[in-house]
Amino acid sequence: MEQLIKKINGMIRLRAYKKQRESLHFFTVEEAQLEMILSHLKNYEGFTHLAFLQAVDFIEDGKFQLTYMLYNYETKMNIGVLTLIDREEAETASIHKLWAHAWQYQREIHEMYGIDFPGSPRVKESFVLEGWEEMPPMRRDFDTKEYSERTFYQRPGRSTNDPAEYMKEKLYRNYPQSPAIRRDDE
Amino acid sequence: MSLKDILSPLRVWERAAQKPWTIKDPINDRPGADNYRGFHKNDFSKCIGCGTCEEICQNDSIDIVPVAGQETVEGDSGLRPMIDYGRCCWCALCVDVCPTGSLTMSNDYTWISDNPEDYRFIPGATETKWQDSEAGYKRSPDMQILNYERVGMSEVEPGERSRSFMEIVKGYNKEQAILEAQRCVECGLCVATCPAHMDIPGYIAAVRDDNLDNALRILYETNPMPEICGRICTHKCETVCALHNNGEPLAIRWLKRYIADQIPSDKYKEILGTEHLTDEKPGRKVAIIGAGPAGLSAGYYLAIMGYKTTIFEALPEPGGMTRYGIPEYRLPYDQIDKDVEYLKSLGVQVQYNTRVGEDVSLEALHGDFDAVFAGTGLHLGRSTRVPGSDHSRVYFATDLLREVTLGQEIDVAENIVVIGGGNVAMDITRTLARLQNKKYGKVQVLATCLEAEEDMPADLEEIIEAREEKALIDPGWGPVNIEIKDGKITGLHVAECLSIFDENGKFNPEFDESSKKFFKADMIVESIGQGMDMSYLSEEIKSKLKFGRGNRVEVTEEFQSDLKWLFVGGDIIEGPDVIHGIANGYRAAKGIDRFLTQK
Amino acid sequence: MSNLSKNKYKGYDADRSKYPETRNGEPVIDLDSHKFTKMWQGPQHPGVTGNMSVEIIVNGDEIVHAQTHVGYLHRGFEKLMERRKYIQCFPLVCRICVPEPDTNEYLVSAAMEELADITVPEKALWLRTLNLEMSRIASYLMWIGGQAGSLGMGTIGQWTVGMRDFWLDLFEEMTGGRVYHMYMVPGGVRKDLPDGFIRKARDLIVRTRKLLRDVENSFLSNAVVKSRLQGLGVITPDMVDEYGIVGPNARSCGKEYDIRLNNPYLKYDELDVKMITSTVGDAFSRAQLRYDDIHQSLDLVSEILKRIPVEGKIQAEMPNLLNWKIPAGQTYVKAESTRGEHGFYMVSDGTDKPRRVFARGASYTHAISVLEKLAQNISLSDLAALMVSLHTCPPEIER
Repeated sequence: MEQLIKKINGMIRLRAYKKQRESLHFFTVEEAQLEMILSHLKNYEGFTHLAFLQAVDFIEDGKFQLTYMLYNYETKMNIGVLTLIDREEAETASIHKLWAHAWQYQREIHEMYGIDFPGSPRVKESFVLEGWEEMPPMRRDFDTKEYSERTFYQRPGRSTNDPAEYMKEKLYRNYPQSPAIRRDDE
Repeated sequence: MSLKDILSPLRVWERAAQKPWTIKDPINDRPGADNYRGFHKNDFSKCIGCGTCEEICQNDSIDIVPVAGQETVEGDSGLRPMIDYGRCCWCALCVDVCPTGSLTMSNDYTWISDNPEDYRFIPGATETKWQDSEAGYKRSPDMQILNYERVGMSEVEPGERSRSFMEIVKGYNKEQAILEAQRCVECGLCVATCPAHMDIPGYIAAVRDDNLDNALRILYETNPMPEICGRICTHKCETVCALHNNGEPLAIRWLKRYIADQIPSDKYKEILGTEHLTDEKPGRKVAIIGAGPAGLSAGYYLAIMGYKTTIFEALPEPGGMTRYGIPEYRLPYDQIDKDVEYLKSLGVQVQYNTRVGEDVSLEALHGDFDAVFAGTGLHLGRSTRVPGSDHSRVYFATDLLREVTLGQEIDVAENIVVIGGGNVAMDITRTLARLQNKKYGKVQVLATCLEAEEDMPADLEEIIEAREEKALIDPGWGPVNIEIKDGKITGLHVAECLSIFDENGKFNPEFDESSKKFFKADMIVESIGQGMDMSYLSEEIKSKLKFGRGNRVEVTEEFQSDLKWLFVGGDIIEGPDVIHGIANGYRAAKGIDRFLTQK
Repeated sequence: MSNLSKNKYKGYDADRSKYPETRNGEPVIDLDSHKFTKMWQGPQHPGVTGNMSVEIIVNGDEIVHAQTHVGYLHRGFEKLMERRKYIQCFPLVCRICVPEPDTNEYLVSAAMEELADITVPEKALWLRTLNLEMSRIASYLMWIGGQAGSLGMGTIGQWTVGMRDFWLDLFEEMTGGRVYHMYMVPGGVRKDLPDGFIRKARDLIVRTRKLLRDVENSFLSNAVVKSRLQGLGVITPDMVDEYGIVGPNARSCGKEYDIRLNNPYLKYDELDVKMITSTVGDAFSRAQLRYDDIHQSLDLVSEILKRIPVEGKIQAEMPNLLNWKIPAGQTYVKAESTRGEHGFYMVSDGTDKPRRVFARGASYTHAISVLEKLAQNISLSDLAALMVSLHTCPPEIER
């Protein structure tokens, strides 16, 4: 594995590499070199099985991370090829020509994250969310709770209590409230 | 494909002769397994309404609601969980997390009702057919969601510490503190029990998030003495900790100490946003008698509210009983100074060696200041008044402790007996043990008290640590007389104590004269309680005040006495302990503010 | 069966290169020409656990185009988990796959344990392995019912689903739940085996084997089944990588990929797991292979019951799980479910909630890309059989 990493690093400059465990390695590549690296891994290094392709939203950095999980049947190794793409103009090269099922993932990612894969078949078709009008729901800024409160209704008659507040009300209501001096996250 | 493939399916006709698997009456013939996660049960005698079940429920199906017949008392919010079976997924995390183990499940899984509201019910309060069922899911003791074991606190070894007055408890480091803070379930039951009603879950969460600045701010909202309290608070909060029902309570006191210890005193003003508070104060003036916890606390909050305050202290250093009553190995003096220095930086003046009633009269203070707060504490010893207790080698614990702090030489005897079983008795026992170690290289001090071992008022760790330091503790004996030969004490005669209080609940100990013992001693220390010195109140003032039980001044909820300008608080009203003093000081400050604004 | 009779009933051996006309690799289908009919199959199917529909275009009774539609079961678990504490994810994940929930439970716990660097005690590992193998048996039994049902043999389905209920009884005693077991908490398992469990499990293994003999007689050695399934939905070895095919579907055409052997987890490295493969690649060989796999699972369960330690801890030392923060990192853990590679990809960011959890279900490709491809040019009546023979589980597609 070390050899392979060295070799890849010779071909392109890896932006990061991490050995998670003996049979699982992650490395990060430039977006532009992604397709090239994946096809190299598939065609020459025996990483023929694409287990999945998924996105992670790093909203703080303004980036999406794409994860391509490959597997080599001979060496029994998993490699996670990672790349970071811009969150604002989320678009990257499609790999549907490398694996015949990649389009499915790309279609799902387009629906869930709004990342475009130009040229990928049926990428703009809805996958599970027919008639969805909100922003792509797996983005971190989509607030599930707010959406469900807006769309559905609560069961009427429910109310709860905070034990500390309730006890204050019951036991020491007259104790004067002290001036809050908290800042930060309060 | 062969002939076999055509014929072999016919063989399964033999199944026609087999007994069917179907259960005839599944509702009655098929109870759930012993371990089945069926409908909920709640044992109200154990439930404390902490709401941890609500917290962990990922389906949001639990509400914590008041239930008729469940009183709100310290350690029990009186609330009980109500479960919405329209949302519940029977994952039983609420059962696993329940700190008291009151919430369990039955193995019942059928329930028919045509009213959907029925399916939102309070286990334990609602009549159900499964409420007495024994079977059903319960948390296995081998598995836990919460952590019932405290993060260990490192201490100085008994051998080493009994030779010096160095601080015993070393305090948590960051890793330990965060780990300990993670144990908190944030139920907040402790807030009601804390006399100062500190926001305990708030500062624990801040420790967990490693946001110590915020933690310090939360501390100072209700308690301006975190270093002192973080060491010697009686931590009543820990007795009601939800985790205490099933294991060790959260180390709330040590976490408070951790916060204050981590922040250097020169950062306080910046963190607490008090840079603008300076010596120059135009506002009204308040005098405070006594620089103990109550007085300091009142001084702090008055200063925050913009009052010009002056504290009059009879002794040369601040802290009151925390300095002169508590040995240095429990509370180092520089930690008291740290809290007091910050307070002084806010413009609070302290006049040491000024005894009100001698150096300055209360009437004079009334003339010079708009209001007076008295938090003078309990500095006088109480005597057993047994024969021989008037001997010169019979001492009061409070006097000795004060002399040690003042640096005065104490004539330590080789054999000492301490009478008393409270924390002060332990303090003097352990202090004398250290002094004996210094002087004689061995420890021969014995503490005895009326109470039996399990009823001793002292904190358990005090008793354990005293014994670790080779002091003897022999509880359950009542003092009868002190034997004196040739003008010298030879020892103390005791008799077995049968009961301490009579049927009316009055203090009236009963001894078994047939079971007696003799403790050899040439010095005896009495530590059976403290009294107050109210000599600074002149007769004229006394006549205008009302006195209640134990000769305590009667005050309002805000510690205002009948003389509107005089507020009284601290040990002489409530306690005795440091946290009551702090709480009293805070409320009195609020009361003084209200009194002066209305004036 | 002679080639002649095959051609008589089936479309797939005929020369279809010219019909329907293709352009750019896509068939030209003009619905207005009245030669084609567009129709829906689903979303309800007996035998497929969950809802999924196939939009098909037929010419006569021959399918010329198929497109899978999902979205009937989307519950957004991955998004929900991003808003929940780690421990609160635990009751959610089992719902990703109804017939075999334990793989999800195991994987999500394993991912958390790996990221938080927690070592699970030996006994808990054995209990987890037992649980996983039992769930494989239950899942396969349900699958036999589906496969038989799709050929109109509902009775076999009743036997096997009935037998599955006895396995669920065992689960009930072991875990407290029948369908959703919620047994493998982070750090270990919730309970030790109850008294008498091992004896009951051994009895059940005997009963199951007896039932499987009946299944073999009536299903696998059945002329009707053979004529329907043999030659249906052939997966070729080069399709395996192309489409990411895993599990029995891949092994049925000779690909040696069983995660229990390739990347052993839990206690599988100490157990005698055999690689069961076939070379035919059609629906019948997949059925045969799964049948052999149940026997292997039954063997494994009896082996595990022998070797499970009596003493030992069932959960590692854990921090307060209510406030559990996992250091930033990412990992991918996988296990062999009855449908193949089941994996969890988890990204943590140092807070008490996961940044991203992705559940990779084996059906994801099987039920969409592969089904769409294999469904072309088969008879309409074989579509259900094909779908079940791929062992599709819609809930794990859309999660």
